[in-house]
Amino acid sequence: MRPLDWIVLLGTLGFIVIYGIWKTRGSKDIEGYLKGDNSMKWWTIGLSIMATQASAITFLSTPGQAYEDGMRFVQFYFGLPIAMVIISITVIPIFYRLKVYTAYEFLENRFDLKTRSLAAVLFLIQRGLAAGITIYAPAIILSTMLGWSLTATIMVIGLVVIAYTMSGGTKAVSVTQKQQMAVMMGGMIIAGFMVVRYLPDNVSFVEAVAVAGKMGKMNVVDFSWDWKTSWNDRYNFWSGITGGLFLSLSYFGTDQSQVARYLGGKSIAESRLGLLFNGLLKIPMQFIILFIGVMVFVFYQFNQPPVFFNEGTKSKVYATAHADELRSLETKYNDIFKQKQQAVHGLVDALKTEDEAAIAAAQEQVNTYTLAGKQVREEVKGVIQKAVPDAETKDTDYVFISFIMKYLPTGLVGLLLAVILSAAMSSTASELNALASTSVIDIYKRSVQQDGSPIHYVKASKLFTAGWGFIAILFATYASLLDNLIQAVNIIGSIFYGTILGIFLVAFYLKRIKGNAVFYGAILAEAVVLYCYFFTDIAFLWFNVIGCVAVVIFGFILQALIGKKEKELVA
Amino acid sequence: MKNHPVDEEPPIEKPPFFKTWNGMYWLVLGNLAFTVVLFYIITKLYE
Repeated sequence: MRPLDWIVLLGTLGFIVIYGIWKTRGSKDIEGYLKGDNSMKWWTIGLSIMATQASAITFLSTPGQAYEDGMRFVQFYFGLPIAMVIISITVIPIFYRLKVYTAYEFLENRFDLKTRSLAAVLFLIQRGLAAGITIYAPAIILSTMLGWSLTATIMVIGLVVIAYTMSGGTKAVSVTQKQQMAVMMGGMIIAGFMVVRYLPDNVSFVEAVAVAGKMGKMNVVDFSWDWKTSWNDRYNFWSGITGGLFLSLSYFGTDQSQVARYLGGKSIAESRLGLLFNGLLKIPMQFIILFIGVMVFVFYQFNQPPVFFNEGTKSKVYATAHADELRSLETKYNDIFKQKQQAVHGLVDALKTEDEAAIAAAQEQVNTYTLAGKQVREEVKGVIQKAVPDAETKDTDYVFISFIMKYLPTGLVGLLLAVILSAAMSSTASELNALASTSVIDIYKRSVQQDGSPIHYVKASKLFTAGWGFIAILFATYASLLDNLIQAVNIIGSIFYGTILGIFLVAFYLKRIKGNAVFYGAILAEAVVLYCYFFTDIAFLWFNVIGCVAVVIFGFILQALIGKKEKELVA
Repeated sequence: MKNHPVDEEPPIEKPPFFKTWNGMYWLVLGNLAFTVVLFYIITKLYE
């Protein structure tokens, strides 16, 4: 990185953090600290919701996902706008009427203290682990590509986030997220313009999209359904509209890191508009990020891509006895690329003539070389596995950062790194803020110290923010000691998410089921999920559905039994 | 025991541009439908 990049990076991040601290200084009570004095306008809420969901991995992985798999990932978000409408209609008025600070507080009003505490503890375990990963995941990629120390990267992200989240609470999180979101979208759009500009002079934008289409990357929507195979297809219209709806309902309706964003609204109307703003803009935002990835793919049809995008892993292989094997595969890959490059130019020429036969012939030639290149990449991954058995052989997360570092001009590299670090900070800040508010409101204030002064609870919230922040840093620092950690945390999340969603589903829609039934039903449901995890081969994403459905079924059965017993006692 | 007093149902302001909230909800759902159709056209156009 050059000095100008450092100036842009530090200047952007420094301005956002200092502005956030200055703008939100001096919250004297818990209302101000955890709900931002209910002063947030809808655009702040909307941007804050979007920034919370957009972690650094969104900006690092999504373009790589499009590079590898095309645009179809956007279908994953089709259920989100429907979820925003459902939450606006049903959840927001209830939370406002009860004047809750956290989502779990509502559960005590609807059921009892033990159900509230159970949901809060499940959330704290799940989100506490996730906060570590939100810091670790971008830190490992940035440290590998930039040669930064992993521990220093983790410490810097973690400590800066702790500083402003601790200082200004919910308001600081939302205020900084507004600026962070502007940096993220501005940086990504500039990167998109740059990649189109770097295409060869004889290739127009329309032709670049056509090339992407002919190479199978413009696969935005897939309505097809096969009863045998489509269940395993993660991204099609049907899985997006149903699975995406359930996931969005649980994430935006029950996860405190999102609930806190709209609870800080000035009124029900502001909170609703904030959520609906997200419902309108989330899909276009994901489309833009994926489309940038597709344009990076087209760029690499005319410019030599590396055989493996993770340079750090490649260097490790070069230091082993397998170095020559890798070098020879690299040469083979480069030779195939030269032939493919000619074929892609042929495809562009054919597209200009609009001759269908010529287009089909050119397309077939391109596909042959693409397949040959893919085979070499698979061989490379095999060599990496032999040489460095612990190394991750999936390199899609490194595609976009590799492009940024190699091709973007000085200054823009700093801006794009600011985008990635802003995203890491915005989602971590929301997580720490949510962990602190749940710890204070649902556990400390409710069950430990009920008669503290407003200042006492603000101090407690600050301490919990710092405490969870240090746990996240510690977890992120030692994360590399665990195998396949991101998947491990996703599994842990799926183990708890379904049960939490089930409790809320019963709370909102099944009025007949009371506190004891849902509490013991949730414990039984969690036992079923744990059984599935330890003793079956069911894919972990299904745990969300199993946990949720099990809470409802057990709730019904237990309520019937308890109700019968109560009637007998009354008689 | 609850932490906060429960107030009356707060009045809900009208949304901008529409007379009722249903209009806003249909805008979001209509936008989703339009986006899906647009994406389908893009998919077919560049197949």
